[in-house]
Amino acid sequence: MFEVRSDEPKYAFLWDKETRAQNVYGAPIDTVPKGDQLREQSLNINGDDDIGENPNRYKQHGFFFTADNCIACHACEAACSEKNDNPGHIAFRSVGFVEGGSYPDYQRMNISMACNHCDDPVCLTGCPTRAYTKFAEYGAVLQDPDICFGCGYCTWVCPYNAPQLDPVKGEVSKCNMCVDRLEVGLKPACVTACLGNALDFGVIENIPEGRTQSKTEIPGFPRTDITNPNIRFQQTATTPREMTRTDSMSVKYHRNDEAGRFEAVVDKKHGEKRAWGIETLLTSHENAHAIFTLSTQAVMGAFLLLVTGSWFGLPVQEFKQSAGFIPLLIILVAMQSFGLFKLTMHLGKPHRFYRGFNNLRLSPVSREIAGVSAFFTGLLGYSFFSLFDFSVTNLLAGLFAVIGLIGVAAGSYYMYKLYRIPARPFWNHWQTATAFYGNMLSLGSLMTGIFAVLFMQNPAGLIQPLAITAALGLCIEIIGHLFHARDLQKGEGEGASSYYEQTTTFGKTYLLRNTLLGINLLLAIILAYTGLSSYAGILIATALGLSLLVMTYLGRILFYALVIPTTMPGAFFWKNKGFVEHARETGLANMQQLGVVYERHNPFNVKELLETIKETNLKTLLANTRTILTGK
Amino acid sequence: MLFGRNQKNPIKIADKKVTEWKYATCGYCSTGCSIEVGLNTEGKAVASRGVGGADVNRGKLCLKGIFEHELFDSAGRGTEPLIRDQFHDEWKTTDWDTALNKTHDEFVRIQEKYGRDSIAIVSTGQMLTEEFYTLGKLTRGLIGTNNYDGNTTLCMASAVSGYKRSFGSDGPPGCYEDFENTDCLIAWGSNLPEQHPIIYWRMKEAQEKRGFPLIVIDPRVTMLAQNADMHLTITPGTDVVLQNALMHVILKEGLEDRAYIDANTNGIEDLEAEVAKYDPTTAAKVCGIDEDTIQNIARLFAKAGTAMQIWTMGINQSTHGSDGVVGINNLALITGNVGKPGGTSLSITGQCNAMGTREWSSCSGLPNHRYLENPEDREEMAKFWGIDPEFFPKKRGLFQTDIYPAIETGQIKGLWLIATNPMSSLPNTARIRKSMERLEFCVVQDCYQDTESAQYANVFLPAGTWAEKEGVMTNTERRVNIVKPVIKPHGNSKADLWIFNQMAERFNTEGKINFPEKPADIFLEMGELSKGRLADISGMNHELIEQNRGIQWPYTEAQAERGEAPPQGGKRLYTEAATFRYPDGKAKLIPLPFIDNNEVPDEKYPYWLNTGRLIEHWHGRSKTGKLSNNNKYSPIPFIELNPDAAKELGVLAGEYVRLISRRSDAVVIAQLTHRVPKNMIFLPFHFYDCANRLTLGLLDPHSRQPAYKQSAVRIERAADQQAAAKLSMEMRTF
Repeated sequence: MFEVRSDEPKYAFLWDKETRAQNVYGAPIDTVPKGDQLREQSLNINGDDDIGENPNRYKQHGFFFTADNCIACHACEAACSEKNDNPGHIAFRSVGFVEGGSYPDYQRMNISMACNHCDDPVCLTGCPTRAYTKFAEYGAVLQDPDICFGCGYCTWVCPYNAPQLDPVKGEVSKCNMCVDRLEVGLKPACVTACLGNALDFGVIENIPEGRTQSKTEIPGFPRTDITNPNIRFQQTATTPREMTRTDSMSVKYHRNDEAGRFEAVVDKKHGEKRAWGIETLLTSHENAHAIFTLSTQAVMGAFLLLVTGSWFGLPVQEFKQSAGFIPLLIILVAMQSFGLFKLTMHLGKPHRFYRGFNNLRLSPVSREIAGVSAFFTGLLGYSFFSLFDFSVTNLLAGLFAVIGLIGVAAGSYYMYKLYRIPARPFWNHWQTATAFYGNMLSLGSLMTGIFAVLFMQNPAGLIQPLAITAALGLCIEIIGHLFHARDLQKGEGEGASSYYEQTTTFGKTYLLRNTLLGINLLLAIILAYTGLSSYAGILIATALGLSLLVMTYLGRILFYALVIPTTMPGAFFWKNKGFVEHARETGLANMQQLGVVYERHNPFNVKELLETIKETNLKTLLANTRTILTGK
Repeated sequence: MLFGRNQKNPIKIADKKVTEWKYATCGYCSTGCSIEVGLNTEGKAVASRGVGGADVNRGKLCLKGIFEHELFDSAGRGTEPLIRDQFHDEWKTTDWDTALNKTHDEFVRIQEKYGRDSIAIVSTGQMLTEEFYTLGKLTRGLIGTNNYDGNTTLCMASAVSGYKRSFGSDGPPGCYEDFENTDCLIAWGSNLPEQHPIIYWRMKEAQEKRGFPLIVIDPRVTMLAQNADMHLTITPGTDVVLQNALMHVILKEGLEDRAYIDANTNGIEDLEAEVAKYDPTTAAKVCGIDEDTIQNIARLFAKAGTAMQIWTMGINQSTHGSDGVVGINNLALITGNVGKPGGTSLSITGQCNAMGTREWSSCSGLPNHRYLENPEDREEMAKFWGIDPEFFPKKRGLFQTDIYPAIETGQIKGLWLIATNPMSSLPNTARIRKSMERLEFCVVQDCYQDTESAQYANVFLPAGTWAEKEGVMTNTERRVNIVKPVIKPHGNSKADLWIFNQMAERFNTEGKINFPEKPADIFLEMGELSKGRLADISGMNHELIEQNRGIQWPYTEAQAERGEAPPQGGKRLYTEAATFRYPDGKAKLIPLPFIDNNEVPDEKYPYWLNTGRLIEHWHGRSKTGKLSNNNKYSPIPFIELNPDAAKELGVLAGEYVRLISRRSDAVVIAQLTHRVPKNMIFLPFHFYDCANRLTLGLLDPHSRQPAYKQSAVRIERAADQQAAAKLSMEMRTF
């Protein structure tokens, strides 16, 4: 058990005498009913099997933050990092701020934020490896870095920037509510360290002594309806109508008198100048995702055309009998392998790739991985058996085609679904689907078309329907983009800010993408009309092919670069994305004391994988599989 | 609701495996927090925590204290003595004897050639009191240069000077407990939340319990100003005018405490005559605070049951620094607010042991507030140390800020820098650099070998830091608290005390002065010297100090013998009538005419340059700049720039700008905020080759403290942002 000192000050102890039954969202504060089998178990902290004597052990706890009082002294952050032995670039708790008014009528409001141990932890439901657990004890949401494979999806879905992805270790870690301290009746380290009397902690809905309010929102704090966070605020000082952020995010907060709350709106911080932003785009860590999604969509598209084209009257049979069929399959397998390779290697711990299936019951990522794996299996089998021409192999090829189709359906759907993240408004729009499926059609047609032209005697019959398919894909994509742009512009919050960045920081790239999109549609229509009948036709087809590749790639890297999460405001240096990027560009990040590290690729640790294989017996394997499938 | 898993995995929480906690007093600011450093099984310092039962900090620490254990093996620590003929030669590692002999021989050579005062010794507020006392004994008793001062001239000299002028002696009369008793608090140029976070917490606790009006006088909207009941955005450098106007109202409206004034002060007539000139209407035009507010504050302050004033560098670092302190003391004296619970004028000191050096280093005189100017003091100390009283100079020599001009013009040829880094900390770096280049011999004694000043050293003596050593420190409320060695000094570095004693051995060839080796013994010697004086520590010893988590002076031998335990806190000075340190026991009310000699913004240099501190950094960053969990909050220099000014300058948030003053220029990144007015920028002083390239640092006539906070600059957006970023980064190699 955690050591309570003989001279432990009074303020360090928890104070909840009475507790309420329900929280503000209507959920019970008791985490498990009396007599539940989850009670009276040890948390087994660092191998200690004692059970804490905290009388409120099975009640949801949360932080209470008096925003009026926070002075941004960083003592909470320091105490947290000291206790959890975190290096400078990792912080379970951070202080950022919003500010407003004109000198001297100026107000700065600091916000200290860690994990809110939400009622509906989206980190937990999103995590493909099931590294997260919401404990009956204190309602703490804890994450186990030993399970994590470092995909960072939890850092995407959390609206509060609580999970911290460490590029050095290649794993996520986060606030553990200091459950070791709670077990002995002490408040968390950050709360005990607070020098402004701003941060407190207790059973949720309990208001500390000397405080009169218990709000769920303050300016700068993201919306609460995503996760029902367990944090309450007091903030009585009247703030100016508009509160701005000092970090590089083009977001500020404006008071909506009708709604009686502050809403995120665009802050055109860097002016209206249009730039390419191409360096940022090309060096993004998310490019692995761009390569994976695009290659998967291209391969799925081509596979769909090959397997189901004839259902829609496409003369694919002719192509399948041509010399181009097998080379196309080989290329498809190679492309899909490359995509999967890029995806796996971008993980913090690539050798733990197999854990991606762990959370099939809850995580769209697990389902995407399962779907794409099924597809890949189908593609491999289909390709292999297509090398032969016996009735048995044809039957088998057919069977694998079915598996592949199921994989396409599940994989593509969840690939889209996993981007529908409420905390990421730019992605959380049906346009993501139109872009993904549109690209599937256009790129699939392109792949098939290239091989048809190269290997078929007379590709004309196939090229025109392919051009129509591509045009259809492009149409779908354009419609999505149009509605997306419209909705973002008229909408508010981080989505609108993404649109602002889209038209300024990356304005020229965006314009180029849009122009290419229009040209491509035009070329596809012309090609559908004229076919490859002349040199002009071949020229058009070549132009279309090249331009399509450039366009989809630009579109996809923009998709990743433009997302602005509904996250906590940062400070001027600390937790400022702009400064982090600046530090990496200029080399400042080479100084360890700067607290900024470079994104990096982590090695595939074959040894660890072999050890896991060796240590995992059949029984455990079966039990794990059962858990994945049944949840039991 | 065990959600997500059906099987509970064991929880892993970082366990630093601390097997032993060792007591120390924090080595950063003057708050004087008690701290425990945790050692793991290998004896490595891995954790820090505030001591729960210590009255000062009651278990709390600020972010610097929380990571203080990381200092011991941080980057840049000196491990071996270094030597070289010329400062532009490569360093050669040497042994202690060679380094110390070389230093001794060079000092002797220079003194023989150019005279005794051609050597200057510049010390610090960072060492332990026994070390200060020993250095003082060595300097005053053996080396004999009168050009001996500490870097406390840069932070506390005005407070010292002001206290001496008003009360007849240095020594802050109040204590932290005053917050719990006061009915009105005025903070003059003090930003507690950033500068003294634990004192802020004590104030906040008191405020939440009792509630009292808080008035903050600061041109910048600091967190304290923002949370104040009244924030007075004063024009820089005009505090004395506001003070005079406040006294004008108090005296005019008869709100003063006549009985107190009569019993405790001299000079009320002259003061009345002077402040009569400062009616609020006239004063408002100079200090920028409107007349209604002046009257309001004056009445509030004078009518409060007890009223307290605190101040820090906003007052001290000004050409009217000493006068500003006297003004605060005047206000306190005419309203009877000295030595009462909640009624005090309390200087919030800077460095961890600035008070210790004030009391014991002999920089400004002789130990325990004795004066060189006083023949009895010279006689007494000479007898105590066993030297000829004629060896002492008859008045104090140059202040640190006057030592450099004397190097520049060739009167001083040798320099011993101890735990201070003037290349970062003195104003107008260009001049300092030139001076350093002129030296015939320079020895730098520091726990870091990468301080900028070591560039110009011929000998580097690696010193132990903070809790690698043993000794005491005195905090803002006169509390003597102890540091115990947590681990042994890094590499082959040695405690400063050892270095002084070794040096003393070389000068003390006749063996006439006794230099005890153990800090506890030195403390007892100091106790002897303190008997019957204001700062009486004769009842204390190292053991008792640790037991009590620090003891406020005075605590006398008589009290100890009576079995009177030291109070936990709440000890004040001048609690009895007419006990001030002037011979008649009365304090002086000193009239303060205002002369406007600041560098003020004009057409060519249209912005006020206001410099100051950030919570995450300590002074020149040689400590905090190495620790990512401190440094990351502000790793490179920046300015706070008003967005309206930025718009006119064409500067966007996060862009680099070039600041130009009449001295030089600096490259910084711009943070846009309405915290500062349109005609002012705020620039943290912590960074090398930055703020002090720009500052003028006009000196206060009494304290010789530089006016760091009032200079004028021009701002240009850096045309080549990438080049500016590179330039800014290059300067951060230190």
